[in-house]
Amino acid sequence: MAPMHIPDGYLSPSTCAALYAASAPFWAVALRRVRRLLLTRFVPLVSLVAAFSFVVMMFNLPLPGGTTGHAVGIGIAAIVLGPWGAMLAVSVALLIQALFFGDGGITTLGANVFNMAIVGSLTASACYRLLAARAPLISPRRVAAAGIAGYVAINASALCAALQLGIQPLVFTDPTGTPLYAPYPLHIAIPAMMIGHLTLAGLAEFVLSAGIVAYLQTSDLELLRGAAPARTAAPSLRPLWIGLAMLLILTPLGLLAAGTAWSEWSPAAFADPASRAQIAASSLGAAPPAHVPAGLGRLASVWAAPLRGYSAPFVRNPALAYAMTALLGAGFALLAVQLLRGPGVRSRAGAAD
Amino acid sequence: MRAGFVERTLEDLHRATDLAVVSERIADGPGLLQRIDARVKLAGLAALIVAAAVARSLSVLAGLFALAFALALASRVPIRTLATRAWIGALVFSGAIALPAIALTPGRVVGRPLGIEVTLQGLRSAAFLVGRVETAATFALLLVVTTPWGRILAALRAFRVPVVFVVILGMTYRYVFVLLRSAHDMFVARRSRSLGLLPASERRRLATATAGVLLSKTYRLSEEVYLAMQARGFRGEVFAMDDARMRGTDWIAALSFAAFAGTAVWLGR
Amino acid sequence: MNAPVPLFELDSLTFRYDEVVALDGVTLAIPRGKRIALLGPNGSGKSTLLRLLDGLEFGSGTLRFDGAEFTEERLRDESFANDFRRRVGLVFQNPDVQLFNPSVFAELAFGPLQLRWSPATIRERVAAAMREMDLEGLRDRPPHRLSGGEKKRVALASVLVVDPEVLLLDEPTAALDPRAQSQVIDLLVGWGEGAKTTVTATQDLGIVEDIADLCVVFSAGRVVAQGTPSEIVGDEDLLRRTGLLHEHRHVHADGSVHVHPHLHRPGRGHS
Repeated sequence: MAPMHIPDGYLSPSTCAALYAASAPFWAVALRRVRRLLLTRFVPLVSLVAAFSFVVMMFNLPLPGGTTGHAVGIGIAAIVLGPWGAMLAVSVALLIQALFFGDGGITTLGANVFNMAIVGSLTASACYRLLAARAPLISPRRVAAAGIAGYVAINASALCAALQLGIQPLVFTDPTGTPLYAPYPLHIAIPAMMIGHLTLAGLAEFVLSAGIVAYLQTSDLELLRGAAPARTAAPSLRPLWIGLAMLLILTPLGLLAAGTAWSEWSPAAFADPASRAQIAASSLGAAPPAHVPAGLGRLASVWAAPLRGYSAPFVRNPALAYAMTALLGAGFALLAVQLLRGPGVRSRAGAAD
Repeated sequence: MRAGFVERTLEDLHRATDLAVVSERIADGPGLLQRIDARVKLAGLAALIVAAAVARSLSVLAGLFALAFALALASRVPIRTLATRAWIGALVFSGAIALPAIALTPGRVVGRPLGIEVTLQGLRSAAFLVGRVETAATFALLLVVTTPWGRILAALRAFRVPVVFVVILGMTYRYVFVLLRSAHDMFVARRSRSLGLLPASERRRLATATAGVLLSKTYRLSEEVYLAMQARGFRGEVFAMDDARMRGTDWIAALSFAAFAGTAVWLGR
Repeated sequence: MNAPVPLFELDSLTFRYDEVVALDGVTLAIPRGKRIALLGPNGSGKSTLLRLLDGLEFGSGTLRFDGAEFTEERLRDESFANDFRRRVGLVFQNPDVQLFNPSVFAELAFGPLQLRWSPATIRERVAAAMREMDLEGLRDRPPHRLSGGEKKRVALASVLVVDPEVLLLDEPTAALDPRAQSQVIDLLVGWGEGAKTTVTATQDLGIVEDIADLCVVFSAGRVVAQGTPSEIVGDEDLLRRTGLLHEHRHVHADGSVHVHPHLHRPGRGHS
């Protein structure tokens, strides 16, 4: 099981609902495009690439260093289909994985789609177009661009997942302080997730995207031209804006639920009398130890070390953390959408047959 | 085993095909859930998964798991299938993730095995995580192993999922098997003992070139399929039709699902 | 009295895939109610011709259907397209291409649904087609769990369900076991006597006398011969020239080498 596929039970129902809601407008835009282009071969193309993406996730890729790893194939899907087609294809592949192979949950499907299909596809497309620019189709620059696009995309997806997982114990605990869903706060969830993705998973995605592009350059250049039909006119992105606005409006509702303080989790807080009292209150009157629990102290310092530089401002405040999560996800998406509306799009228009 | 990537990939490809074939066999067989309309099952099992996600009580979670197990027995889903496809994977994966939480979660210390302070909150948190994952995975598995895929698609349409999305979903699942077969054949052709002697970069190139060939095939196939769709009158819009009718037993099943899910949500709030 | 208008009339029909010429100035008439066999080795243009006849590709030169010119523009008209798709059906060689739906029922219902038939009619016609093609009991079966013969029957049923008057078949007996082959051949034999116009692309010389009234031999995108099945199958020189027949060497036990011509019958091995 890939760590990227969040199973049922890791995210609270409200987080799941919010991420379904956030994904819906993207699907709406993507489907609208598909419908508009339906007279073309788009339906079978998206379906087949979704099937490809599903199958390629099973490839064990030999990685530098003697290990093997699995890639998700976001990078290559985005290069071949463009961001909107890739979004649909990866979503469908994720749904089939969740239903048939138990990789990723049903309630968390919205989250997985948001992270991998939406943030992943948009990031990969934006990166690829930015880095490949107008380089010739057979340029080695495109191989590198594809690899980096895959690497960045999978890490952007992982970061979103880590943020979603990391806010769970801040917001969703029972009165005794028991985390009800994913138990690790941001300062553990982020490094735990990112270490694996910055190395192995990212490398696998790099190897797959770059390797396939290199193969296509010698054997099937047509696919690199962008198999997706060119758009005739930029379709309205309004549903997208509405959805993102909704997400931002809904965020404060999540904050209202954030009764328990983030500081409860911070080793430093154990020395702070006020928060000790709060923990005591929420722990059915059992006084917390005056010292940092040994295990927590040790592990937290390991995990938090790489983050120390930037974690200070938002990691201490749950409201800020929650808002940051929403903003980061939305920001990624918006940035990518803006990049995709740039000149790169028009250069594709003439390329499709 | 350094050359093992071909073998391991072949195993994974086999596993995927086997899983689907086992599901379809169980779905064709007799059993309680097999007799229930797919729409009722889809909504009912989804409601139970949500109930498991909402529950703030471990005993309610245990009750839901017991219900899932009972439904599996009544639907003649082999324990082996449940264990290999839902339970063991979820336990190993989520168990490993939940384990450190036992000590990392602040709260009332209930023991110090090996000098690590285990907290009540940590134990409960781990139990919640593993319990939810196991319960949801079992319900999800019940849906796919007791319902033919075509019926699940029809049920999705009944719940207003856009037809074009359902068509893409159906076509994807259909071609997963064609591509699994293609990938399988290519890896079998590449299976050779001398592979282990190749430098790592060559093996990597071989693996990604195989993926590239598969992508080329995928693309050609999609073009052919498009022609085949046109030949049968496809002009851009897709239509679908459903012929399932709700019977008395389906209504009873719907009410039972609603009662169980409702009770679980109420008790577990 | 005038002769009836042929169903399809081709005049100097040419088609290129990128640089490759697939059809090179084909002039041909396909009469109504006859069974035509298109013979030729792989890449001789048979499959391409079927696609042009079905309006999936358009070449240069003229193609007339039912007396009127058949163009891409005409096929854009919805009522013409629906009429054409109901009257003309194409069965692809590769069942993975032909069967793109998740279940047998969905496969058979696809064509009628696209033609906007009423649900009641669709149910009735699909049920009838499943009966005719012996597919009852496979209703919810996904294509990956069908045998080769079952796939072919589903493929045929998915086209026959709308009862087309013209059937275009691409290598219908290729890669089938003998029992499945004979089932398909029985169907084609049954459509003699003007019941349907069939155009069958095949390399299987062993079946043409059963399934065709007229043979057209293709080589490198051109029509090189036309005639009755017995004329064509009897013309060993023509068959050898066009690659439909090849020499086969046997080394006998006494050491002598025996060379004799072989019919090339894909899917059956050597006869």
